[in-house]
Amino acid sequence: MENKEILTESISDISKDDFNTALIIDNKICFVIEESLYRVRMPNQGEQAFAESKRNLAQLEYLKQPGCITQKQLIQQLKESGVLDVKKLEENKEVLLKKLKQYWFMLATKDSDNADKIVEYTQFIVTTQDALKEISLEIATTLSPCLESRLEKFFVEFITNLCTEKKENDSWIPVWKTMDEFNKADSELTNKAVANMTWLLLNRR
Amino acid sequence: MSIDETIRQLARSTYYQNIYTSSKEMSGIQLFENTSNFSGLQVLFLFWLQVYSNLYEELSQKKWKYLDEKVINNNVRCDAFLYWRKQQNDIEIEKQKREQQVSNLKLKDKSNVSTFSVDFEGGT
Repeated sequence: MENKEILTESISDISKDDFNTALIIDNKICFVIEESLYRVRMPNQGEQAFAESKRNLAQLEYLKQPGCITQKQLIQQLKESGVLDVKKLEENKEVLLKKLKQYWFMLATKDSDNADKIVEYTQFIVTTQDALKEISLEIATTLSPCLESRLEKFFVEFITNLCTEKKENDSWIPVWKTMDEFNKADSELTNKAVANMTWLLLNRR
Repeated sequence: MSIDETIRQLARSTYYQNIYTSSKEMSGIQLFENTSNFSGLQVLFLFWLQVYSNLYEELSQKKWKYLDEKVINNNVRCDAFLYWRKQQNDIEIEKQKREQQVSNLKLKDKSNVSTFSVDFEGGT
């Protein structure tokens, strides 16, 4: 499965889950896989600092690897080889955003009894937002091999490795002891744990 | 329902709006089990809690012609209203700034104010 498909599936999977108040009642997210209960929890300060120092070490490692490329360099190469013009896509996003704002303005100034116009404008807004999401996803997927994206991925996976627990009897036990164990684990579990951790860390970094 | 929709539904619910209002007046009321290290979702929830609290207050004051309960309960219409409201507030702030500038000029040099002393365009 391609990165884009995995990402799309993860988003739709996590988005469909109806956690209700469990989503916000504490700083953890529970999920079930094959009748086992798991949770990801927010990292404490120590774990966060530990993950950051590991990420810095990973950066030094990645820089030594042949083919290591920064986001700026990758964008340039993609443009030169004619694969993808990220700047052009960003400009397309700006155009869509401008249209979205126009329709927001028109929708906002309609009374609730003007049902036809409300439906029409709402449909346009939803379609435009979907198109914006699609472009963002395409950019993120294409830039995933760059240094910055790899480091971000490393950080979230490392935190997930530290903060995923399984319920056994009445206790929560860490699922993995090392990053190596995490990397070898069942991808259904690791993907779900990473997706949930991404939600926990939303706007926090 | 998506996570974003769930968060917003919870934030505008009577239950959480009541808890939020009470927590501002009485100490000891907790919204979450944890009191620190809030998750991104909790921060997002707090953001929407504040937004909906303001909207309900403005609805009760009948501050805006286009704000009603249906707008608050529909995410797309609510986003549109929030955008429009920000535009209106920005226009109002800009108007007040200009009025203040004109008033300052008049106070500063009351005997020597000409149309050239006032920058109505706000530009260079």
